[in-house]
Amino acid sequence: MRTRPLLRCGALMLGMIGALAASPADVVAQTRAEIAEAGRKASPRSAEEAMKFFEEDVARKTAAAVARVYDPTKPPASPSMRTPWGDPDLRGYWLSLSYTPLERPEKFADKPLLTPQEAIEFFREAVTADSAVDPATVHYDWKEFGMDTWQSPVRPNRRSGLIVDPANGKLPPLSPEGQKRRAAAAAAAKITNPETAVSLLPNFYTRCITGNQGPPRLPFNHDSESQILQTQGYVVILTQSNNDARIVPLDGRPHLPSQIRTWLGDSRARWEGDTLVVETTNFHPERIWRGATADMRLVERFTRVDPDTISYKITVEDPATWTQPWTAEIPWPRIEPPLFEFACHEQNYGVINVVTGAQIRATEGLPPARGGDN
Amino acid sequence: MQIRFPSLLMTVGVAGAALWLTASPIAGQAPSGSLFPAYKAPRTADGKPDLSGVWEALTSANWDILAHSAQPGPHPTLLGAWGAGRGGQSIVEGNEIPYQPWAAAKQKENFKNRMVVKVAADPSRFDTGDRELQCYRPGVPRANYMPYPFQIFQTPEEILIVYEYKGALRSIHMDSTEDAPGDTWMGWSNGRWDGDTLVVDVRGFNGNTWLDRAGNFHSDALHVVERWTPISPYHIRYEATLEDPKVYSRPWKMSFALYKHVETNAQLIEFNCVPFVEEMMYEPVGLYRPQPRKAR
Repeated sequence: MRTRPLLRCGALMLGMIGALAASPADVVAQTRAEIAEAGRKASPRSAEEAMKFFEEDVARKTAAAVARVYDPTKPPASPSMRTPWGDPDLRGYWLSLSYTPLERPEKFADKPLLTPQEAIEFFREAVTADSAVDPATVHYDWKEFGMDTWQSPVRPNRRSGLIVDPANGKLPPLSPEGQKRRAAAAAAAKITNPETAVSLLPNFYTRCITGNQGPPRLPFNHDSESQILQTQGYVVILTQSNNDARIVPLDGRPHLPSQIRTWLGDSRARWEGDTLVVETTNFHPERIWRGATADMRLVERFTRVDPDTISYKITVEDPATWTQPWTAEIPWPRIEPPLFEFACHEQNYGVINVVTGAQIRATEGLPPARGGDN
Repeated sequence: MQIRFPSLLMTVGVAGAALWLTASPIAGQAPSGSLFPAYKAPRTADGKPDLSGVWEALTSANWDILAHSAQPGPHPTLLGAWGAGRGGQSIVEGNEIPYQPWAAAKQKENFKNRMVVKVAADPSRFDTGDRELQCYRPGVPRANYMPYPFQIFQTPEEILIVYEYKGALRSIHMDSTEDAPGDTWMGWSNGRWDGDTLVVDVRGFNGNTWLDRAGNFHSDALHVVERWTPISPYHIRYEATLEDPKVYSRPWKMSFALYKHVETNAQLIEFNCVPFVEEMMYEPVGLYRPQPRKAR
């Protein structure tokens, strides 16, 4: 289940707020109930029929997934797949989604690798929880659009957590400077802001400045598709989310000077055997990514391990934030083309409604809402 | 104020030489055909002319695609020479856009309102100013004559163009007749080779873009046919025929040269203008500026 705050359906809400004397929060609750009722009436299927359809879909897709457990200890397929000019072939469309959490859960504390059976068990539990929501009861549910993770080619993963280094599968401790910065941010958060503003939103996806993932492309719950296009001199990585385009030269040229800073960073790549190694620096000073600074250095490794899977391995290095670099690995399944135009900023009702809603809550003395993307 | 030159004025070849005998009022800003000896571009592995590289137009067509004088710009007291626009010759062949009568009036209204920005929940939400002002996608053909470079990546199945302006993308689907799955800002491009010319058929526009800052516009019925012809190792002749039965009384054509960036390590430098426009867009509706904070 993935739900979006009702606030995103803002045109109706904004109109009604002006017209009614009831408090805005009451209006939202009323409207939510009315929309759910109208949705049920308009659906061609009954709620029971819809749930039965999804149960069958879950069984079908899970059966296919558990037959193909991802085993990171298996060597990549051989011979390696090549482009017509002889480079390893990473071309195509790939999905960065996983049920495996970034950090290893406590129950698997000493177990970086599960048995295939344990991996299947974990996967089934995650799918059951994810697919359980009745679409008739929420504003909308990703399942209706085929966007739940189990509805993609994601499969069980023997890794208990995506982080492979440090050895305990957790993010490394914060450096002293990282701790100071986090304490300062916590202190600043205690100062209430009577009105939220676009410029204060920490989420650059809501503001349509960057897509919902990175770089690096850690799993997120939607718009996780990428396209990799290769020519002899370049690798181009495009994302579905915000259509971010990363142009990566292969000719060994140096990075841009450090005065030039960008939201997606400046990337340079080389081949190491069958692996594309992409190094990215020059991040924008206002970028917020897991508490890292703009001087973070990212190394991504792309290896085609079988016809339908890229192993995507990231190493994040930022001594100003973490005491040591950390590395995570995510298997990316192949998906069907195309990517679609993602005109995010062009009439961004999301940012208008999130900020308007937060301002209304503030004037009513309510605590900030914890919405989907924030 | 918009100043237009009389259409009797002869256009001159972009390379700077006054090729009097071959210059013609219908030439737009395309280089003359006799500028370079017959050129055959190097081939890609699949035998097609290689258009890869970083390219840029050198016109002021983004300001106004028709002939225009240098002009002070909308806020001269604030921006002085920074905000001024340089003069430029028409990239439109014949220096005239065949608007239907209602559309000619609409273009003048667009020009008056070119800096109006409306972001509220408004049914006429795109009936405001030039979208470039708000960092919206520029559409086609405008993306090709924005004053920013773009990079062409060429494969047999797909030619990808990444524009430095906003990182706007176009994927040209080679030898495809697939229809646009939905209306978009940048349209849906199907391409094929006609000898050494890349011909791109673009449809599926949402009609929200303008052709320049001067209010020249189209509807969602716009159909563009581009012709990209390499004429030297460093020049592409770009031509586009535009038709739109809702707006124009007949098809019309624009043309200009594209110049290759030849500096070592030429690359696009990310131009993400979204953060640059947030204050302009959201301040009037009270959503941008942080309010004074009080401690808990």
